[in-house]
Amino acid sequence: MNDERTRFANVVLPHLGDAYALARWLARNDSDAEDIVQEACLRAFRGIAGFGDVNARAWLLSIVRNTAFTWLKKHRDPRLVAVENIELVEAAAPEQDGGPFAGPSSPEASLIERADAARLEAAIGALPEEFRETLVLRDLQGLDYRAIAEVTGVPIGTVMSRLARARRRLMAQLGKDTE
Amino acid sequence: MTQADDPFLLVHAYCDGELDPANALAFERRMAADPRLAAERDRIVALKRAMTRLKPAALPPAALRSRVEQAVGLRRRAGRPTWSALAASVGLAVILSTAATWSVLAPGRAGLVEDEVLGSHIRALMGAQPFDIASSDRHTVKPWFNGRIVQSPRVVDLAAEGFPLVGGRIDVIARIPVPSLVYRYQKHLISVTATQGLGAPPRGRAADGYHLIGWTDGGVSYWAVSDVGVHELEKFVQLFRNAPTDG
Repeated sequence: MNDERTRFANVVLPHLGDAYALARWLARNDSDAEDIVQEACLRAFRGIAGFGDVNARAWLLSIVRNTAFTWLKKHRDPRLVAVENIELVEAAAPEQDGGPFAGPSSPEASLIERADAARLEAAIGALPEEFRETLVLRDLQGLDYRAIAEVTGVPIGTVMSRLARARRRLMAQLGKDTE
Repeated sequence: MTQADDPFLLVHAYCDGELDPANALAFERRMAADPRLAAERDRIVALKRAMTRLKPAALPPAALRSRVEQAVGLRRRAGRPTWSALAASVGLAVILSTAATWSVLAPGRAGLVEDEVLGSHIRALMGAQPFDIASSDRHTVKPWFNGRIVQSPRVVDLAAEGFPLVGGRIDVIARIPVPSLVYRYQKHLISVTATQGLGAPPRGRAADGYHLIGWTDGGVSYWAVSDVGVHELEKFVQLFRNAPTDG
């Protein structure tokens, strides 16, 4: 067995579960997620010589998200896939979530905390891709801000604003009583 | 207002443990003075708690693993993987990861122990369940070790801090059975292995996406291993060390 295969088994395979989980959140479909992971693993294998032994998990996840976005653009209606600069679009549109100054009287923490798992999962699924990706990497995969910035290729400030916007949308939605 | 001091962005960084102690303290004062900020913090904490209840990520189907292994030439034959082939491929991955980390770790006994501790954690993640006894009650886990090994480990309850205990297992490190506790953080598992007489653990080490933090307490060496972010693992270790024990 050659060195690259050994390295692949060592660096990539232990994180296959995380790669699959992220692909599922991005694609929202199991069989697409499998295709994305397979293609990402092939890309990782071809690029294994360039991997610098720093953070294998973050490295693989960045390949998965890049593969996912390319894949989704190719296989799905491009209008459904994230626009390049979602921050600009968001900034132009009025805040849909009541904004940060919603105040203590609005969405109650206890209502959010008791939110039904299925409802929460659907709400996460409905987030714009960039927001969803950032939230999933932080809250479901436990990456720190620096690693998320590396994986998604944006500055830490952008990670922070995406995370804040993602969470605000979820909090606004879950904080509403289900009639 | 610049982004760097927008309190409604910083409150997320505060909740995520991304502020250093001095900034966290300053921010706590700010929250105390501003009920809107405190309310936002409560909502974020509530949301993070709600997210811990999402069902765990589905494991990648075995067929996907074998597709990937075939694609890169780690596996020759196409077709359905048999259970023995699957077990062999898992075994191979463990052997490979152990063999490869070996060379980059410091020589000497501690390096070897460190390697085995990391290997045990990885092996545990690949098993049907990462522990021999499943229990969130430390009064169940601690006695379970008694009678199996000479010294049962220090078991603390960190559920309130977001690190619930999920169980315990026995690992064999340098041919000695030793206790490992398994804690959960969100979707990740943290193994804490306790050893005696096997050398002092390193303070911190990263390998293949895993972090290892070691410390020594009362003659016992502790090794915390996980794939959570290094900040979370540090926080966990700090909480573990400071938590009260009642024997």
